Amino acid sequence: MAFYLSFLMAALVGGMIAIASNPAPYFAAFGLVVVAGVGCGILVSYGGSFLSLILFLIYLGGMLVVFAYSAALAAEPFPEAWGDRVVFWRVMVYGLVVIVAAGFLLTGDTGLLMSVDAFKEFSVIRADVSGVAMMYSSGGKMLVICAWVLLLTLFVVLEVTRGLSYGVLRAI
Amino acid sequence: MNPYVLMILMSSLGLGTTLTFSSSHWILAWMGLEINTLAIVPLMAQQHHPRAVEATTKYFLIQAAAAAMILFTSTTNAWISGQWDVTGMPGPATSTAMMFALALKIGLAPMHFWLPEVLQGLDLLTGLILSTWQKLAPMALIIQTTQTTDPLILTSLGIASSLIGGWSGLNQTQLRKILAYSSIAHMGWMIIVIQYAPQLTLIALGTYIFMTSAAFLTLKVLSATKINTLTTTWPKSPILAAIATLVMLSLGGLPPLTGFMPKWLILQELTKQDLPATATIMALTALLSLFFYLRLCHAMTLTTSPNTINSAPHWRVQTTQNSLPLTISVTVTMGLLPLTPAILMLTT
Repeated sequence: MAFYLSFLMAALVGGMIAIASNPAPYFAAFGLVVVAGVGCGILVSYGGSFLSLILFLIYLGGMLVVFAYSAALAAEPFPEAWGDRVVFWRVMVYGLVVIVAAGFLLTGDTGLLMSVDAFKEFSVIRADVSGVAMMYSSGGKMLVICAWVLLLTLFVVLEVTRGLSYGVLRAI
Repeated sequence: MNPYVLMILMSSLGLGTTLTFSSSHWILAWMGLEINTLAIVPLMAQQHHPRAVEATTKYFLIQAAAAAMILFTSTTNAWISGQWDVTGMPGPATSTAMMFALALKIGLAPMHFWLPEVLQGLDLLTGLILSTWQKLAPMALIIQTTQTTDPLILTSLGIASSLIGGWSGLNQTQLRKILAYSSIAHMGWMIIVIQYAPQLTLIALGTYIFMTSAAFLTLKVLSATKINTLTTTWPKSPILAAIATLVMLSLGGLPPLTGFMPKWLILQELTKQDLPATATIMALTALLSLFFYLRLCHAMTLTTSPNTINSAPHWRVQTTQNSLPLTISVTVTMGLLPLTPAILMLTT
């Protein structure tokens, strides 16, 4: 289990390096997908399987849209991947930074294995599911605000990208 | 823009600030800031020309970075201390990071570089919203969190903002950039006194909002974005040109006008706290700002600029713009100094 978790965390940091090294948007979006999937895996191993499922479905749904948009807006004839010279050096530098930081920070017992439920399989109420119940009962007003924010974001995106010839991101 | 969409955006601007004002929980405060940022983005980009889009993109990136930093810091704070209260930030690491995130949000030096660039790309009314309404929510959080921040950081931020705001404005000929640097300098005055007397920060913010509204609305009526344009305003609308001079001097902080009040009270408070060096430096940096305000005044009223028309009076028609906000803000900008005791009472 500890090996599995360490592998997931390494993949998480690796995915972030893949995004931060600034390749073409196609590949950066792929790095985001890796980060999202691996993050959900980490959530599962901490005992939040329902939360993880929800995150995976919704986040990857959003990711698909982001991928479509970035692919449509930044249609490059020669996209840079991680093997290309500039991006490769960034990957190397970020990787070095991560290794050095890990050498300083990961000392002693890191306490990797902690479940959110105190009694693991014997818990009567699962923490993530009861959190969802809380969100619908006492957090109802927050939920309304969140729904409003999503609606607002929809209008913002439509307003910013509307028009064929003067689409905002293409104007730069 | 469709009026319904405009209504949604405007009401969300109000909602964001209200949420941040009324929340004692970091998540809700962060949500309010994010709503504010999201709602202003289409307003900034509504002209759809490349300069406005560039400004919008810069603004969005900076605000998103600052909001992410706020979210990370408050999560770390909850992890360390087990509570999400806005007011309690134990430990220097979280309170310092939070202060810098909020400073990035309102554009305090040395995190100020985005502000002039963004403001220069917007039209004057959006710039007005950006430099007044958008400062309210982060300032509310700053006032609540800074009681545990290291005083050295606050003093450094305050002096740096006031100094850089005055210094960088000296070289500018574009009015929106000058107003941006004036905003940075005023924010410095607000931050320098926040730990000694937060109510003076409120007074400084309130008077700054009225003064900068008066400046932006004056420029809107004159449709001036450069000093060049300002030099030809006196034959076109002489009364407004004369009043605009007083507005600029009020922003600079000269005595019979409103702008003197916050500077006076803040200097008095700093002196009472036995900080004569800080008070002197702040007073001297105000002179730097005063220089570019004076240059605007000089261009507006004391020069006869070379122009294609050499007769002084122009044919004047009544303006179709709504002049009530301009009237109110100009009146407040020029005449509040005698009411200083009453305004002090308002905030205590």
